[in-house]
Amino acid sequence: MKKLNKRGTDKIISVYWFVILFIVAAAIVYMAVVFYGEPYDVRETEANIMINQIADCISQGGEIKDGVINEEGKLELTNENILSRCHLTFNVENFKNWKEQEQFYIEINFYKFDKDASDGLGVGFGNKIISGNTNLKEFCEKNGKNFPVCVERSFYTLDKDGSQYVIKIKSIVRKTEKNV
Amino acid sequence: MKKRSSKKGNILTENVIFIVLNLIFLTILFLFLFSKMGDVGTLEEKTAKQIALIIDSAKPGMEISLSIKDAVEKANKENWGGKIVFIEGNIITVQLKEGRGYSYSFFNDVELSKNYHYANEGNEYEFAVEAYKKGGAVESNEEAE
Repeated sequence: MKKLNKRGTDKIISVYWFVILFIVAAAIVYMAVVFYGEPYDVRETEANIMINQIADCISQGGEIKDGVINEEGKLELTNENILSRCHLTFNVENFKNWKEQEQFYIEINFYKFDKDASDGLGVGFGNKIISGNTNLKEFCEKNGKNFPVCVERSFYTLDKDGSQYVIKIKSIVRKTEKNV
Repeated sequence: MKKRSSKKGNILTENVIFIVLNLIFLTILFLFLFSKMGDVGTLEEKTAKQIALIIDSAKPGMEISLSIKDAVEKANKENWGGKIVFIEGNIITVQLKEGRGYSYSFFNDVELSKNYHYANEGNEYEFAVEAYKKGGAVESNEEAE
């Protein structure tokens, strides 16, 4: 009787062993598929590099570059020339209608410090410069990996007269199908 | 005596089958994992995005040397004799086997050297960023002075 019981227990253990093995294997397969099956998401890095490039295009050594603000104090950078003047191209590969809807959006806001302004920032100067797909902007409020990636950064700079500016740059990258 | 010996034989056979099954099972699992790790598609994507990001953050005058040893080895395994990396306009395509490869675009509007080549026995991809493509750039203060 004892022997019979032991053999029965052995069989049950081996069945459990296989069940556990299958569960472990399924977990490993699932993790591998999830990890290697998803594309590398480089959109945040792209957006940050784009902001760096725009910042380099506007300011150098803490001073606004020539050709950004004219002598009258108006912006020379416009929505139309921002891409060519900052050496950017929004051309993308032909993939799932990417050509029809732009995959990038940039927005640059110039704020001039004004002591008289109640918040310390005079917002009267200049206008914001925008380029790319404006529809992407609405997704910035939403969280989720299937939405475009939005990055916003700002920096302080001076013009030739020593006036202080805060420049805010927002960069949005869509390219969802190749990064999520 | 006969009974005893047949039982011993059964136990041994059961254990051997059990171990063999386990080994087969684990082998399949590891093969699957290794196949996923060295997947051609993943490597194509990784290399293409890596080059795109490097070009995005590059400035004119830079010479870039990128190790693509893994990709070259994979292409050799796949018997792919064609170009591994090719750049057309602002789109990079990495191809390690027969098919379309993987393409990714970069936004930095730069002119790349036409004579990019493979160095170090083909394990390194070298190219240079020559100049920005379009005129009308914002000049630096130093240059203006």
